[in-house]
Amino acid sequence: MDTLTAWLTKVRSLLAPALLHCLICGKTSRPAAGLHGICAGCEEAIPWIRQPRCQKCGRHVGCPDCSRSGQAVPIVCNRSAVAYTSVMREMLGQYKYRGNEQLAPLLGSMLDRAYIRLKAERERGQQGTAEIQKAESAFTGPFFPGIQSARNRRWQADLLVPVPVSESRFVERGFNQAERLADVLSGRRGIPQLPLLVRTHHTGKQSFKHRAERIADMKHAFAGNPDGAVLLQFEVWLETLGKRTRPLQIIIVDDIYTTGSTIRACAETIRTLCNDYGKVAEIYSLTWARS
Amino acid sequence: MRVSVYAVEIDGRFKIWISLNLAIDLLWWSAAGERGWRGRAAEKLVLLSSSLPLGWAVKLRECFRFHKMMCRWSSEEWAAYLRDSLQEEMRREEESGGKQQGTWMNSVEVITEPLRNQEQQNCWARIDSGCDKGESESYFSSGSGDGLLDRSESLGIAADRLVEMLSGRSLLQPEVEGLLTEQLAGMERDWRSAAQLAHLQGRLKLQAAVSAGIGGKGEGRSNNNSEKAEGKKGDHSNSSSRRGEGDREYPSNSRSKWAEGDREYPCNSSSRRGEGDREYHSNSSSRRDEGGRVCLSRAGLAAALRLPLLLWRRGAARRRAVERCLRCGSVATGRTPCAACGLAGCAYCEACLALGRSRACALLLRSAASPAVRGTAGISPTVAARRWGLSAAQAGAAGAALQFLTARRQHAAGTGPERFLLWAVTGAGKTEITFPLLETVLAAGGRALVATPRRDVVLELAPRLARAFPAETLAVLYGGSQDRWVAGQLTIATTHQLLRFHHGFDLVIIDELDAFPYHNNPMLAFAAEQACKPDGVFIFLSATPPQKLQRQAHFGKLPHARVPVRYHGHPLPVPRLLTMNPVQLCMKRGALPAVFLKALHRSLAREAQIFIFVARIAHIEGLLTLLRRKIPGVCIEGTSSKDPDRTDKVTAFRNRAITILVTTTILERGVTVPRSDVFILDADSKLFDEASLVQMAGRAGRSKDDPAGRVYFLSPEWTQSQRKAIGQVRTMNSIARKQGYLNRREPSWTL
Repeated sequence: MDTLTAWLTKVRSLLAPALLHCLICGKTSRPAAGLHGICAGCEEAIPWIRQPRCQKCGRHVGCPDCSRSGQAVPIVCNRSAVAYTSVMREMLGQYKYRGNEQLAPLLGSMLDRAYIRLKAERERGQQGTAEIQKAESAFTGPFFPGIQSARNRRWQADLLVPVPVSESRFVERGFNQAERLADVLSGRRGIPQLPLLVRTHHTGKQSFKHRAERIADMKHAFAGNPDGAVLLQFEVWLETLGKRTRPLQIIIVDDIYTTGSTIRACAETIRTLCNDYGKVAEIYSLTWARS
Repeated sequence: MRVSVYAVEIDGRFKIWISLNLAIDLLWWSAAGERGWRGRAAEKLVLLSSSLPLGWAVKLRECFRFHKMMCRWSSEEWAAYLRDSLQEEMRREEESGGKQQGTWMNSVEVITEPLRNQEQQNCWARIDSGCDKGESESYFSSGSGDGLLDRSESLGIAADRLVEMLSGRSLLQPEVEGLLTEQLAGMERDWRSAAQLAHLQGRLKLQAAVSAGIGGKGEGRSNNNSEKAEGKKGDHSNSSSRRGEGDREYPSNSRSKWAEGDREYPCNSSSRRGEGDREYHSNSSSRRDEGGRVCLSRAGLAAALRLPLLLWRRGAARRRAVERCLRCGSVATGRTPCAACGLAGCAYCEACLALGRSRACALLLRSAASPAVRGTAGISPTVAARRWGLSAAQAGAAGAALQFLTARRQHAAGTGPERFLLWAVTGAGKTEITFPLLETVLAAGGRALVATPRRDVVLELAPRLARAFPAETLAVLYGGSQDRWVAGQLTIATTHQLLRFHHGFDLVIIDELDAFPYHNNPMLAFAAEQACKPDGVFIFLSATPPQKLQRQAHFGKLPHARVPVRYHGHPLPVPRLLTMNPVQLCMKRGALPAVFLKALHRSLAREAQIFIFVARIAHIEGLLTLLRRKIPGVCIEGTSSKDPDRTDKVTAFRNRAITILVTTTILERGVTVPRSDVFILDADSKLFDEASLVQMAGRAGRSKDDPAGRVYFLSPEWTQSQRKAIGQVRTMNSIARKQGYLNRREPSWTL
C-alpha cells in the first residue's frame, strides 16, 4: 500500500506544474515570472524603488542628506533597485555574511532592473535637452537630425567599477559582493568592468557605525589600483574608445547605499584617476539597496 | 585557506602532514622543542608545497599510501607524485575556469638534515613575528633569537589550553577565533602555532570542512537520506554497517587512534608507533587485535553485498568523488570562486550555512576522541526515584534506562553509540526521568547533553536542570545564546547546535525526536550521532516515536522502556469521535453543527479551557467569527505561527483570560494548560497524522486536579490516523492498568 502511494506520488509529480524552492521564503511554490529563483509571492513583495523621491541619491523617501550638506557631490546620481527593508536586509545578510552564493544571480538581476531604470531616465532627460538643442540649431545644422537624435536617445554606461572590500575581509568572505553584482550586470548588458579601486585601510564593518564615523572613516579609504595589469587594461580600454567627445560614463557598483560616503570616496578617486589620463568622467552609482 | 604540506620519514616510513605554521613542524621534526613537545628527529622531510588549497592538501594526506620506493625518491619524483595525486583536482579546476594545470606547483624541497641551532632560532623568530607563511623566504637564512626553552614551553602550554577548550568540539576557523577571543583572550592572534603543535602531538585534528570521501563511500547516505534518518536509530545491524561506512569515509578516525597512542607514549615506544602507522596505512585490512574493528569491516562488507546498487554506483562515484560537509553530512552542492584558497571552484555546503559557511578550504578543527567514561551503577534505582520524587511508573523506566546505561559497558565495542528509547506518554514527566541518568554520568565525570528541537523548550528546561544540578556547569546553547563557547559538564542545546560538536558527550538525550525540525532531517540526525562519543549512549525521548522505531522496539531490536501513565497516575483521556461537516463547509453555510456546539457548551459548563485545533491557518478567522456569534460572552481568540502575539495569547489562555483558543498544530506540543479540553476539527485532514493527533489529545487532563479532560475528534470520516491514535492511547492505558500504575478507576464521562 505504501509503495503504491509512493509510486502514485511520483507519477503525479511528473504531471504537476514545475514548482521551485524559493530562495527568499524557502517554501516550495509557483515560480515568479520575472526573476529567477524566487516564488511569485516573494517577487510581488519586493520593495522596488520605481520613483525615487530624491533625484540625487535615489532615495524612495524624502532625503535630508542631499539638501543638508550643500556641497558638490562627485556623482551625477545614485539609483538603487530596492528599499532596504527588513526582508531585504535579511536577504543581503544571507548572501554577504552567511555566504549563500546562490543568491548572487538573483541580486544581480535585481540590480539589472535598477540599471534599466537609470538608463530609461537618462534617455528621457537627454531627449528633453536634445529637443531644445534641435530647436536652437534648426537653422544651422538640419542635415542629420535622425542620427543626432538616435545617438542621444541611447544612453549606455561605459564602465562598471565595483567598490572593493579590504583584503582581510575578501579572504574571510571569499568573495566581493559588489564585484559579483557587477559581474551579473556586465554579463547581461555587455558593459566591461574593471577593479580600478583598492581599499587602503581596513575600516571595519560599516554597519556598526554612525553617520559621522562613517564619513570620517571613508575620507581616504580608497586609492587607485596599483596593479599594473589592471591599469594596462584601463589604458587599452581608453584607447578603444577613440576620440569621443562626450565624457566617460562610469558606474560605481555596490550592494548598499546608506550615507553615500563610500560611493563619494570612490567617485573622488575615480575622478582623479581619469583626470590623470586626461579624461572627463561622469560618475554614476548603482546599488542594490537604498536604506 | 592555504596550507603547507610535507612528507616526513620516520623509521623508514613516510607520512604526510599538513601545516598551518611550517616553522613549528620544522622544529618538531628536529626534536628541538623542550618539555611538553616530545617531537622526534625525522630522517628526511620533503616539503611538497608551501601553499596549497586546504582541500587539496587534505586529499593528499588522506590518499597517501606508503611504499618502499619513496625512500629513494628525488625531489623531481616527489613533484611528479604530487602532480599525479592532484591530477583530478587540477583538471576540474581548469574546467571551472581557474588556473592552468601545472601552475599550481612550486618546487619540492627535500630537507635531510635536522635544523641547526641558528636555523631553529630563525624559526622561533618567525613564530614570534607571527608571519607563518614562509612562501618566498627560506628558513635557512641567518637571524637571531634566544630564550628557546621558554618559548617552546609557553607554546606547549598554549597548545594544552587550546586542546582543552576544543575538547569534544568541531569548529570552523572563524568559530575557533570567536571562542578564543571570548575565552582565552590574547591567544586569538597566534593560535595557529598552538593548533599546529597540538596537531603534531596528535591531540587536534585538522580537516577540510568539505571533503570528498576517499574511494567511493557514503553513497548510501546520499541516495536514501530519509530512510537513513530513521533507520539509523536502533537497528543494530543497520547501524553497525553504517558505522563501517562512516569509518571508511573518515580515515582520520583511525588516525586519531594512532594519535592517541602517540600522545600517551610519546617517546619510548617506536614499535608502537610502527604498529599504529601500519594500521593507518592499511585501514581496511583491520589487522588490529581489537575485535570491534574487525566486526566493523565485516558488517560494512555485508552491507555492500546486500546492496548491489551501491556497487554499481561505485564506478561513477570513484570518478567523481562526492564532496560532503563533515559537519552536517550533506553533499556540498555549491561551487564558487573563492578568494581564500584562490580556486575557481571551491565547494561549499548549502545545508548548514546558518552556522557559518563550511567549505572545501575552510579549516575544521576537532579534538581527538577520548574514551567515554565508565559509569558506575552506584545509585540504585529506588534511591534515585526517591531522591528525584519519581512516580512508580517513572521510577520503573528510569531504572531500566539506568541499568542499560551501566550494563552496556560490557558489550560496547566500537559499534557506535548504543541507543535506548524512552517511550513516555504525554504528560508523563519525561524530563524528571532523565535526571537519574544525567546524575550517573555527571557523577562519573562524564559530559552529558540534552538536545531538543526547539528553542523555547531549551529556555524552559534550562532553569529546571540548573536547579536539579546546581553543582555542575551548565551550557545553554541556541541560536544567539550567550553561552556559545562555555564548556559545560551539562549542555542543553537545540539540535542545530550539535553541529558544533564531535565525539564530545558520553550521554546524549534527544527530546521529542519525532518533532520538527529533527524528524526526517538527515542533517540533524547526523549531527546528533557525531556529537556522541562512539562508545557513548543515546537516549531518545518521545511520546509518539516514529513508526520505524516503534516497530524496532516491538521486535526487540531496540532496547526501550515505556512509561504508560501520566505522573498523576490517571489514565490518558480517550478521544471521542463526533461526526461533523468539514470546517470549510460550515463556514460557507455560516452555521456550526449542533453536536459540536453542544459539546462545547458542556465543556464550558465544567469551566474548562478549550483548545480548538484546525488544520489550516486560513480557517481560524472564519471560525472565530462563527464561534463568537454562536457563543457570546466568552473570550475566544485564535493564534497561529503567523501571529506575532502568539506568546501573549498562550499566556492569557493559561491564565484563564482566554477561554477558547483556536489554533493549529503549532501548539500540539509543550503547552500545559490546567483543566483543558481538546477539540480537533477536520481530524481526517492529511496534516494530522497519528503522532500529532496523539500529541494534541495529550493537551487534555494533564493536571492533577482535572485528570479527565475531554478530547473530541470531529470529522466527516474516520481515517487510519485517527484509529491508530485512539489505539495508541488505549494500548498505553491498558498497559498501565496491567502493570498496576493506575491509582484510581478510569473515570468515565458520557456525552
